[in-house]
Amino acid sequence: MDKLRPSDFGTYWYGISQELSKVDISPKLEFIPIRSDKHATLYSVAINSLDEYPLYGYLSIPEGDPPFPTIYFVPRNASVLEIIPQGTSNLIRDKFVIFSLACRGMRNSDNPHISMYPGQLTENIETLDKYIYRGIVADTLRGLDFLITRPEVNKNALLVSGNDNALFASALHGAVTHVVSTPAYFFDTIDLAELTASYPLEEINDYLRLHPNSKNKVINVLSYFNLRWHAQAVTAKVLLMVGDENDVYSKSKLDPLIQNITGEVTLKESDNSAYKDGLFIQQWIADEIGDGVPILPDHWK
Amino acid sequence: MNINKNYTCKVLKPEDFDIFWGAVLDDLNQIDLDPEFIRDELRSTKNIDVYQVFFNSLGKIRISAWLSIPLCIEARGRIPIILHLPGYQNDPPIHKEWANHGYATLSLNHRGKVRSRSQFDPGYPGVLTHNITNRDKYSYKGIYADVWKAIDLLIEASSRYDNIFKVKLDSSRIGVAGSSQGGGLTIIASAMRKEIKAASAGAPYLCGYMDAIELTNTYPYQEINDYLNLYPDTKDDITQTLSYFDGICFAGSITCPIIMNLGLQDNVCPPETGYAVFRNISSTDKNIYEYDGYGHDAGKNIHSQIILDFFSKHLKEGD
Repeated sequence: MDKLRPSDFGTYWYGISQELSKVDISPKLEFIPIRSDKHATLYSVAINSLDEYPLYGYLSIPEGDPPFPTIYFVPRNASVLEIIPQGTSNLIRDKFVIFSLACRGMRNSDNPHISMYPGQLTENIETLDKYIYRGIVADTLRGLDFLITRPEVNKNALLVSGNDNALFASALHGAVTHVVSTPAYFFDTIDLAELTASYPLEEINDYLRLHPNSKNKVINVLSYFNLRWHAQAVTAKVLLMVGDENDVYSKSKLDPLIQNITGEVTLKESDNSAYKDGLFIQQWIADEIGDGVPILPDHWK
Repeated sequence: MNINKNYTCKVLKPEDFDIFWGAVLDDLNQIDLDPEFIRDELRSTKNIDVYQVFFNSLGKIRISAWLSIPLCIEARGRIPIILHLPGYQNDPPIHKEWANHGYATLSLNHRGKVRSRSQFDPGYPGVLTHNITNRDKYSYKGIYADVWKAIDLLIEASSRYDNIFKVKLDSSRIGVAGSSQGGGLTIIASAMRKEIKAASAGAPYLCGYMDAIELTNTYPYQEINDYLNLYPDTKDDITQTLSYFDGICFAGSITCPIIMNLGLQDNVCPPETGYAVFRNISSTDKNIYEYDGYGHDAGKNIHSQIILDFFSKHLKEGD
């Protein structure tokens, strides 16, 4: 399936980084009073990405003396851009620089292109240079390019958080010091999609059902995105959240990824509880880039 | 944290609550549904037909939904239907897994969601506080109307338009389900439409708003705190508007069988507000499932089978 590392894998990703470097970031920040208070200030951020695509994000800066440890919530496979993920205590903004970015196609970054959900995962999936995730990975990296220009960001404590894009960010950008990732669609994608009817992986099944003759093209494109081949370049410290043994993305299925990550890996098998998993993540973040005291919502205390 | 299961929310049901919503329903009834059912070749399988559905709702806003219909079932005659209502920020999924259990399922993209945002799009964050000082313009007036109009759509799909489908739908057996905002909308749907025969509400949002903003400091309720920080003089107006939209004020009209699941460590929709709405439900056939050690997922992994069994009992018995 998509388990052969393309011979030009490195060249492909180096080419994207070169193209990206030619695009001026051109950041524009605007104060958002309704989401700001005496503890933290929120800005909208407009930046340019690959193919001069305009992106939108939120940057939250704590009051106090910089630099601050920083959390970058990378683009996700969903239409909505959150300032912080739903359920996260808003007090996290008092201690950390928080940056969240909408990739091309998401709300706020949907001009000129609007993605559909379901639909995003298979946009132009037969053509390597047009596949939507070529741009989305570049957008994710562009977010890091922007962050490291900010004096408020502690470059020794820059954590990326999200699904597969968090691992892409670490593998392809040297600025990342820590990763919290829940892989969801770019590890052996076609094989694992066959095990589920749930979206977004079902998008792959849908596509191949309607276009069976395109399977080899899809396999080829996805091979450039398979986390198997990116793992070795991940040198940051990683908290990897995996599903239980009934899950498509279980520890056993992800073992080749886990074994190949170069950085120190902490593995957490999900308790299928937003509370228990959330406690673990917040404690890990506090221990790694905070002051050891997790910032928890009241109902978790 | 110890949860006060007898927590009393501050909301008071306005005296003209029924008049207000009666007028909205009258307006809604004037809207021509004008439904479209377009079979989606990409999303359909040999066992399930998936349709993109479009219809008109309040303000003539065009609403979309996904309709999934199982094909390989051994049902006698018509099949039961489940209306799935979405979370606040979620992109409504295509519920093929429910179709595999023998239900036609309608997954609603209410106004502001992907595929239903060309005429109305306050954005996220933003929907929760859009025109929040005016009950007649508040965002959720239209969203609640979309939910009720979706039930009209299901009735039409099982009558006037049923020649479109290979398997026929049974509008006398409609269930409604959802979690978080979907749980709150489940309360609203089952309160106002007697066509709903069974309801499953998880971690209900849109209940006890003004208490929730004091019990949590997380989004989406944080949107209201943000608004009040910037416009502190609007608190009375907001309290007044939200009293018309609070699930607690609707709950007394629910008479169908209903189950509710709560996570006792829910940091998004505080369980205190869940208990408050549950107490107000009039149905004599109501059960609450409390999951200690679980957050906003409300024990979903464990509770899924309970929901399946519940709908099987109330929508399939006799098949």
